[in-house]
Amino acid sequence: MTAVTTEPDATTRLPAAVPLAITSVGVVSAAGLGLDALGEALASGGRGHAVPVGEDADQYPQVGVRSVEGFRLRDHVGRKGTRNLDRLTGFGLVSAKFALEAAPQGGDPDRTGVVVTTSTGSTQSLVDLAGDTLLQERPYLVNPSRFPNTVLNCCAGQIAIWNGLRGANVTLAAGQCSGLNSFRHARMVLGLGRADRLVVGGVEELSAPLAWGWHASGTLAGGTAIGEGGAAFVVSTSEAARAGGAGIAAEVLGVEVGFHPASRGNRAGAVARHVERALARSGVSADEVTEVSPGSTGLVGLERAERRGIAMALGRVPEVRDVTRAVGQCYSAAGAMQVAGLLAAWRGQPSGRRRLALVTAVGHDGNVGALVLREGGGDA
Amino acid sequence: MPETRRVAITGLGAVSSVGIGADAFASAIREGRNGTSEITSFDASGFPFRMAGEVRDFAPRDILRRADPDRWGRSGQLAAAASRLALEDSGLDPEEVSRGRSGVIMGTTSGEATVSSVLGEQWVSGRMKEFSPRVVAQAPASQISAAVSTELALGGDTQTIPTACSASNYALGHAYDLVRTGEADLMFAGGADAVNRFTHAGFHALGALAPDVCRPFDRDRAGIITGEGGVSLLLEPLEAAVARGARVYAEVLGYGVNCDARHMVHPDPESIAACIRDAHASAGITPEQVDYVCAHGTGTPTNDATEVQAVREVFGERVPPISSIKSMIGHTMGAASGFGAVVCCKALHDGFLPPTANLTEVDPELGPGLDVVPGRGRDASPRIVQNHGFAFGGNNVITILGRPE
Repeated sequence: MTAVTTEPDATTRLPAAVPLAITSVGVVSAAGLGLDALGEALASGGRGHAVPVGEDADQYPQVGVRSVEGFRLRDHVGRKGTRNLDRLTGFGLVSAKFALEAAPQGGDPDRTGVVVTTSTGSTQSLVDLAGDTLLQERPYLVNPSRFPNTVLNCCAGQIAIWNGLRGANVTLAAGQCSGLNSFRHARMVLGLGRADRLVVGGVEELSAPLAWGWHASGTLAGGTAIGEGGAAFVVSTSEAARAGGAGIAAEVLGVEVGFHPASRGNRAGAVARHVERALARSGVSADEVTEVSPGSTGLVGLERAERRGIAMALGRVPEVRDVTRAVGQCYSAAGAMQVAGLLAAWRGQPSGRRRLALVTAVGHDGNVGALVLREGGGDA
Repeated sequence: MPETRRVAITGLGAVSSVGIGADAFASAIREGRNGTSEITSFDASGFPFRMAGEVRDFAPRDILRRADPDRWGRSGQLAAAASRLALEDSGLDPEEVSRGRSGVIMGTTSGEATVSSVLGEQWVSGRMKEFSPRVVAQAPASQISAAVSTELALGGDTQTIPTACSASNYALGHAYDLVRTGEADLMFAGGADAVNRFTHAGFHALGALAPDVCRPFDRDRAGIITGEGGVSLLLEPLEAAVARGARVYAEVLGYGVNCDARHMVHPDPESIAACIRDAHASAGITPEQVDYVCAHGTGTPTNDATEVQAVREVFGERVPPISSIKSMIGHTMGAASGFGAVVCCKALHDGFLPPTANLTEVDPELGPGLDVVPGRGRDASPRIVQNHGFAFGGNNVITILGRPE
């Protein structure tokens, strides 16, 4: 059987990746609201808002944070219908709203879908439910209007409801590599014509219980801050975007993802293999890569392996564009923040040539991947 | 659209309340056996309704060869065990599978809810300093598919799809897309969820729990029974399956996916009807060709009425036999449509229609002439079947499977 004996690194057999166009972006992060705020923080080396916010701010353990200050969903979407929505869904709704407002209008809502990455959904909503079922006089006295918040596809479902988007509605979890998986997933959905347009994004929400979870995990290097927020992109195939006359902020070329847990050894090699495959399927060479946005900055045992893998594949480590100082380590939303960070930096510092970035991710669970992002998209 | 190849299902794995292994599961379903009983996995004494479909005799160490059960939550264990069983069922060489571009897509509703329950209880009782790194690492939903890739040493796409109660149908559809476009050599697709206090409390609060048994389509249906399990299907190119002389249970013909975009928990008949039409178009079939519908069939008054209304809208006068396996295993949440897909494969391959158990009288409000295959399975030779999955968030996914020609 030839199919199963194909070697994983047999790049020559894989067809070129159908380019995807990012036509707009919306972001909510510790740097503030919007892409420009993120761009300014990145340009100045700023840290974003670095103290916990919310009612449980004094219950955080000793851990660095990057939090979204003063965020109120109703300031952006009106008061109606927001009372039972949690912070995580709020980040999703606002980043999607920013992205959709900036996207070309007139997309068919029946053919527009949603892909949102998550880890556990809203930790705060889970903890609220735990309190209701464990501490109340009766274990079933939970709020029926809030229970759906604890179901992991709440954010994607609400983005669809608030924007009337009736296409494929996907929630996706792949740990630290969720963002890369979301773009690969989007390519499949768009490439097969299951939708014309997708809102692709990632969301994470900080809370004291989540901070204690990070603290207990032992996975954060000293000084690493954990982050929250949301980033969303309106995405179609580049072909469709050009045909519709849309401006293209960047194109997603090759995206390769896989699984390589520590037990298999040589993590750097796994990173390198995914980078090489992503470049090959993008039709670009290692020399053309102008910058890299690594995803595992500040994670014990991963940061060095990731950078070593990049160096193995490219023969060098190009300029590093790191978003974690500004927005924190955002786990399942890290990939979305990495891409948003590149777009923000490019917009803030225009260049005469089209830049080509490598976005990588590697997780303790074994998830690994690489994505190639090309600035603009005027000419094919 | 890119050139694509045909996709076969050649391995089935089930860890269910009515049996472990696809054969045990399917024969129990065919007999109409009930797998639900009083909850034992958590203290349910404070709940007025205490029934669930728990997998009582699941011993992960008996099935798992590589993944250490202590490292994974119950959902991950269920997913990994079901996938190991699917691989064994397929007759493929495990070494070859792990050498190829093979991956896994697993659906879930509540992720690792038993893990969240432990952490949530520690938090609300002020014992956050007792959070264990081992338990915290199990919490992300992504660990469900990671458990599978660890168990089978898969190196390809490893995604969890937490799109609630249609999730494993979406997983099946996406895995089909990955295989048919050549992005993967073979894929495991399915889902897993575990019975837990949070989900039970939430469905109680929504007024959706049945007091005793689940009675889909019955005049006296009162709601769901919470359930659990792990389910996995192995997908490979049909050509490769035939070349190696594999047993082909079914061919994936296509699927439809859409979103109501109206309400988080109330289903929408028009949207479901649109999803059915989308699935038929994707599979290149007409309604007359469908021989059986494996219903979402939760047993709530609203779901079953909405679902039948949508089916009638598409099928008109001739509604195919439609039944709900949730009558036997309860609502296994993110695994539910995966179990539906496994039973559809068995129905196509072995020649029967799965039943709706616990039926006294079909609800007259559902209209005349509705064949819900009451009681026990029926001998039949379905050629094309349709598997429903609907979810919170208005996420509808319908898969179409066919007997390989």
